[in-house]
Amino acid sequence: MEKAIERQRVLLHHLKPCHTSSSLENIDSSLSASVCAAGDSASYQRTSVYGDDVVIVAAYRSPLCKAKRGGLKDTYPDDLLAPVLRALIEKTNVDPSEIGDIVVGSVLAAGSQRASECRMAAFYAGFPDTVPVRTVNRQCSSGLQAVADVAASIKAGFYDIGIGAGLESMTTNPMAWEGSVNPRVKSMAQAQDCLLPMGITSENVAHRFGVSRQEQDQAAVNSHKKAAAATASGKFKDEIIPVNTKIVDPKTGDEKPVTISIDDGIRPNATVSDLAKLKPVFKKDGTTTAGNSSQVSDGAGAVLLMKRSVAMKKGLPVLGVFRTFAAVGVDPAIMGVGPAVAIPAAVKSAGLELEDIDLFEINEAFASQFVYCQKKLELDPEKINVNGGAMAIGHPLGATGARCVATLLHEMKRRGRDCRFGVVSMCIGTGMGAAAVFERGDSCDELRNARKIDVNNQLSKDAR
Amino acid sequence: MPVWKTPFNGYSVKFSPFFETQLAIATSQNFGILGNGRLHVITLPSMTEVATFETSDGMYDICWSESHESLLVAAVADGSIKLYDLSLPPDRNPIRSLKEHGREAHGVDFNTVRKDSFLSAAWDDTVKLWTVDRPASVRTFKEHAYCVYAVAWNPRHADVFASASGDCTARIWDVREPGSTMILPAHEFEILSCDWNKYDDCIIATASVDKSIKVWDVRNYRVPIATLNGHGYAVRRVKFSPHRGSVIASCSYDMTVCLWDYMVEDALIGRYDHHTEFAVGVDMSVLVEGLMASTGWDELVYVWQHGTDPRAP
Repeated sequence: MEKAIERQRVLLHHLKPCHTSSSLENIDSSLSASVCAAGDSASYQRTSVYGDDVVIVAAYRSPLCKAKRGGLKDTYPDDLLAPVLRALIEKTNVDPSEIGDIVVGSVLAAGSQRASECRMAAFYAGFPDTVPVRTVNRQCSSGLQAVADVAASIKAGFYDIGIGAGLESMTTNPMAWEGSVNPRVKSMAQAQDCLLPMGITSENVAHRFGVSRQEQDQAAVNSHKKAAAATASGKFKDEIIPVNTKIVDPKTGDEKPVTISIDDGIRPNATVSDLAKLKPVFKKDGTTTAGNSSQVSDGAGAVLLMKRSVAMKKGLPVLGVFRTFAAVGVDPAIMGVGPAVAIPAAVKSAGLELEDIDLFEINEAFASQFVYCQKKLELDPEKINVNGGAMAIGHPLGATGARCVATLLHEMKRRGRDCRFGVVSMCIGTGMGAAAVFERGDSCDELRNARKIDVNNQLSKDAR
Repeated sequence: MPVWKTPFNGYSVKFSPFFETQLAIATSQNFGILGNGRLHVITLPSMTEVATFETSDGMYDICWSESHESLLVAAVADGSIKLYDLSLPPDRNPIRSLKEHGREAHGVDFNTVRKDSFLSAAWDDTVKLWTVDRPASVRTFKEHAYCVYAVAWNPRHADVFASASGDCTARIWDVREPGSTMILPAHEFEILSCDWNKYDDCIIATASVDKSIKVWDVRNYRVPIATLNGHGYAVRRVKFSPHRGSVIASCSYDMTVCLWDYMVEDALIGRYDHHTEFAVGVDMSVLVEGLMASTGWDELVYVWQHGTDPRAP
């Protein structure tokens, strides 16, 4: 043991240099126990030797662009989805005929039409007719639900490789209610609350939990700043698949071929004083403005999942492990609190504790609910949406879940082993929340004979 | 080329001087602090394992023999220098275990001119000279005042070598002389590695805990020819290119592998951040120009052509 301490000392001096060799002896530099950055929990002893857990080998997204005004306004939804599906195949060299299912989260478009568009997108992306496609709609978390559905199907043994994706063109399909409303809703308050515009639910959260306008505007500015920094430093290049499309000049009607490769909603120069000038949209004396709400956008994302043993056989590097997923229900009038309920549920079912999580992607539907969830769960702001969120990048409803998975996993990859667990979460219109826990691909523990330790000798608290 | 996962933490990689397809990797369990060590030899480009030899203590460095294509010399943390013969099965290896160093052996280098001898550097402050056929060391060089981390033979003179030490000096030695021929107070902090220029036998590079690499002309050693700054933490290893005189590869505790050209003003010509833990081993192939290999504490071995992404499958 003395030898080990001595080795630690020599190596530590490489990192903490001191001037002369004579002073080397004076410093007590044996490594001391400190709290693990990721906390400590029972499920650290997860092992991958059986190869039957579900891993993510690739996650990409399209750029997110402002609806009706942005770079993807003249792009058909299927043309938006096809490039990201194609990228999964091209970047991993997986044979497309091996894919067991493609599940696409999509919210606003008519169900059957969107299902057909997704099937067509799969053909455009080069998938053979033997690969099935379906859609899933869990409102704002549809993309995450798609990923979770594929993970569940792989776990169940339905197939070994699948794609969870998300697609939304809010240019093509604006938020709207078709037909008449059943008068019966008047008989039940919660049913009626399902019809509230999302902005009103945001006002409700702000009012009920006392989130000030100032806090909300500050959160929006932070989001823009972080997203602008991430874009400027090229971080998004790892995850964004450029989309070759056309853009139509609204005045002349001229078509021009373009390649869209960056998110166009980010305002690097946003300031709190500028945002303070904006008028509330939903309530006269309200706090929710266009500036502190998520942007209306077009975009798509896709995630390739497979059984670990298959990934190992193919020699594909593991980007992340899908650990758990939880969807919960909350009061529809304050639907924004969803993540505050869903995150603890998902983290608990992974056998972890909140402090084990190193990185969060929490969808910024509205600054009010985002700030509330952060405060409620007492999360470190340094760990949340480190590359900005929906207020800056955009929130194409069905695509957001898949987008967040791509952003989270690529950031975890960049951060290395200090960043082992990550969470994606969002609130869901009509009062729900969803969250999923991911783990870095290369940090699973080796199989070992872990024994219970009776004495507390600086081991993790749950090893007692 | 695919990445290769080692069971233990990587410490050193070396391309075979005989076959362009062979790569040796020295690894240590638990970051070399406690536990076993392993030597792996893999073939490229498929990255399949040819042989594995396990030792009872961490393996810190490895080098190929220049005279026998299947012979390898390893520096082991228990102070022993072990010789392995790839053509023999694991149970007949190591063919020799030379136990003289009192502390961790940290560097080995095979003589490229006379091809019969090799050097070992250890944390007992000494460098030892060995030949393949003798059971004991030929000579011990004891002048350094702290751990010696690395040794490098001069590529042209069979008797000249350099050593890098934690006493903040690099020393040049001639085995025919009784003591060191030159003391180079090269850095203000510990020196972890050194290497000779392969085209100019008077040029030497040193890498230090001060995050810099310095290039020296031993004929005029008062000022370095070049100081290469850019690493964010201690530089763990330097290596001159076998193909281009002024090109240097380095790896560092900042988890990056860098490529430098010390002759040009903007010296940093490449930075690779593929490792997610300390990058401690780097090598350039003598037989394939531009082919590089690196390993680190993230238990991964990467082999790539300079200019391409090491992570590309």
